[in-house]
Amino acid sequence: MKITVVGISHRTATVEVREQFALPGGLAGELLRAVKAEGVFGEALLLDTCNRTEMYLVAPELEDCATRMAAHLARLKHISPLPDASLLYRRDGTAAVEHLFRVSASLDSQILGEDQILGQIKNAYSLAVEEKSTGFVLNRLMHRAIRVGKRVRTETQLGRGAAGIPHAAVELAIQIFATLAGKTVMLVGAGETAELAARNLIACGVSNIIVANRTLERAQRMAAQLAQGAAGVTCPTADDESTAGNDTTCPARPSDDALPITRAIGLDDIPNVIRSVDLVICSTGSPEAVLTYDNVGEVLRTNRRPLFIVDIAVPRDVDPRLNDLSNVFLYNIDDLKSIVAANLERRRHEMPRAEAIVSHEVELFSNWLDSLQVAPIVKLLQEHFDQLRRAEIKRYGKQFSEADNEQLEVFTRSLCKKLLHEPLTFLRQVSRDNSIGDSETTVEIVRRMFGISQPDEPAENT
Amino acid sequence: MAETLLSLANWLLPLVYLVLLIDYGATFFLRTKTHARNAGVTAAVVFHALVLVMRSIHLGRPPLDGGYEILSILAFSTAAVYCMLEAAVRDRRAGLFIFILVFLFQYTSTVFMAGGVAEQVGKSSWARLHIVPAIVAYTAFAVGAIYGLLHLLAHRNLKRHSVGVLFDRLPPFDLLGRMTWYAVVVGFIFMTISIATGPILAKHMKAEGAPAIWDPRLAAKIIVGSIAWLIYGVAILGRLVGKWSAPKVSVVGLTGFVVTVILIIATTVL
Repeated sequence: MKITVVGISHRTATVEVREQFALPGGLAGELLRAVKAEGVFGEALLLDTCNRTEMYLVAPELEDCATRMAAHLARLKHISPLPDASLLYRRDGTAAVEHLFRVSASLDSQILGEDQILGQIKNAYSLAVEEKSTGFVLNRLMHRAIRVGKRVRTETQLGRGAAGIPHAAVELAIQIFATLAGKTVMLVGAGETAELAARNLIACGVSNIIVANRTLERAQRMAAQLAQGAAGVTCPTADDESTAGNDTTCPARPSDDALPITRAIGLDDIPNVIRSVDLVICSTGSPEAVLTYDNVGEVLRTNRRPLFIVDIAVPRDVDPRLNDLSNVFLYNIDDLKSIVAANLERRRHEMPRAEAIVSHEVELFSNWLDSLQVAPIVKLLQEHFDQLRRAEIKRYGKQFSEADNEQLEVFTRSLCKKLLHEPLTFLRQVSRDNSIGDSETTVEIVRRMFGISQPDEPAENT
Repeated sequence: MAETLLSLANWLLPLVYLVLLIDYGATFFLRTKTHARNAGVTAAVVFHALVLVMRSIHLGRPPLDGGYEILSILAFSTAAVYCMLEAAVRDRRAGLFIFILVFLFQYTSTVFMAGGVAEQVGKSSWARLHIVPAIVAYTAFAVGAIYGLLHLLAHRNLKRHSVGVLFDRLPPFDLLGRMTWYAVVVGFIFMTISIATGPILAKHMKAEGAPAIWDPRLAAKIIVGSIAWLIYGVAILGRLVGKWSAPKVSVVGLTGFVVTVILIIATTVL
């Protein structure tokens, strides 16, 4: 049995090309059913995310798997002509295993160390199990891949620290407030960026949202939209289990959190409400500061609760002097970018440790995979000896009493076991240690030596 | 036999706290198990409680009568308070700092108790009525000082936009501020009780022929307690009336603890 991976990813193709191979909706399941029905591949699994579409296959021969996959895609997506199969990369055997383990460790992700790929792998495996397209080899491979992902996340710092601006803002907020559940957020400016940030915060449990804008109608419109909830966004700091949907650039599954209470105000009302706010996100297009020391400084000076202000507007919306107030923590876009950059640098330093885990696990899996090559011959050899043993007992058994026959049974079993011990040990060693010799050749020699036939060919000695 | 067992347990206690200190050190430096349940700290507290019960039975009195016995009680109560706090907030990141203090308390107590140093403070139940609230107060002040210190560090990091070594190794800023505040309030209440029971104790001690209030050592203790009470009272008033920010309360709380420790050492040595 051979393992191979055929696919396309952000490393090898642009998004326009990847789109041709992506399988939205229920097409992934359909593809697995089609592959299974074809009967060429013993096992199949599809990993389809925004950054990659990969098919893991197990079969005795895997010659034209890239062309077959392209043909299936063309049929399912009603594309003509066929997507160019030469765009797909292919890795066989240990290289395929290593590739999957690097993917699950997030070493192959667009954002190094991102934590959502593991959830995506789990989903892909669940789908394959549902479609009954996995078997002995892929089941073990996927369990190992998930284990590798978990080991890398717990034993290294590869996934530590925010790797995106919204994530950095949420992480900072959590470092200040412990939890965002029940907190009040004020959005200053009703732009797209503020809305996206607000949806992230709603997904993290924020319960009250105030939208402040120069035009009250626009603020009201956004407040009404946000009142519908996070609309498919997940909390960037949520744990692996809860973000087992898609990666950061994909629409994720909707949050089950309660809907937030929202209200709209004009910019002039900000000083009246800011005392009750925990987090402010500013993103107006105003050429001048909206939150100045003069209009909110005095209110915030006597405010005892911490206030976290994220100013992502350029030019800046918030007077930097507000950061001088004891309970105000003001971060602008450059501060957040430098946090992200520092985190990514820290992640890069962790790569060698993650690579070491991957290498170790690849070695373990490869050993197991190699042992599978001799497993059938070991079984056949044992059966062959047992058949001979039974035949001889049948032939000579009548010459012994019933009590002696029992002894004979025990004796012949023990003899066969002893005779087979050295050859079986040798075979297992061959599969483990390739330096002794090519395991396929060895298996063939043993087969011929004992006259054991292939499952689909007649035995030579019959 | 009982003597040997107690002696063994007495040496085991700092060892147990040292193991916990290493475990919390690993949590802090390696960022592992930061929000995990910790059965170890509960087991240590239960073990320490058993040792104290054994000691009480053996001595025929609560182990409150000497400075070094009180240090052990302080180690126990600090660990117990932290154990409850950790269970409530499910955050282990402050543990390292708490257990540095706990270990130092217990190690000092063990070493001096093993050396046979004993200081008789008071034997009457009135004395214990005065001492127990004082121990609770000093425990709260110690815990509050550690949370206050971490709170100020977190405040400094967030203000400077620094995501260095300490950034996510510390518990959240708001949580640290609340913990400091609760510790200051609890410490102040128990110190008030301790000070209020002082005159009753003085009356009974006088009847038993104990030193008068103008005895220098006793007077020093009264002064230390009063100064601590005054500083923490200022912090509480500032927060409730003066609308002080949480970091300001932490500064005063930390100052109160440092001043108290310096005064205790000074009055003991002098």
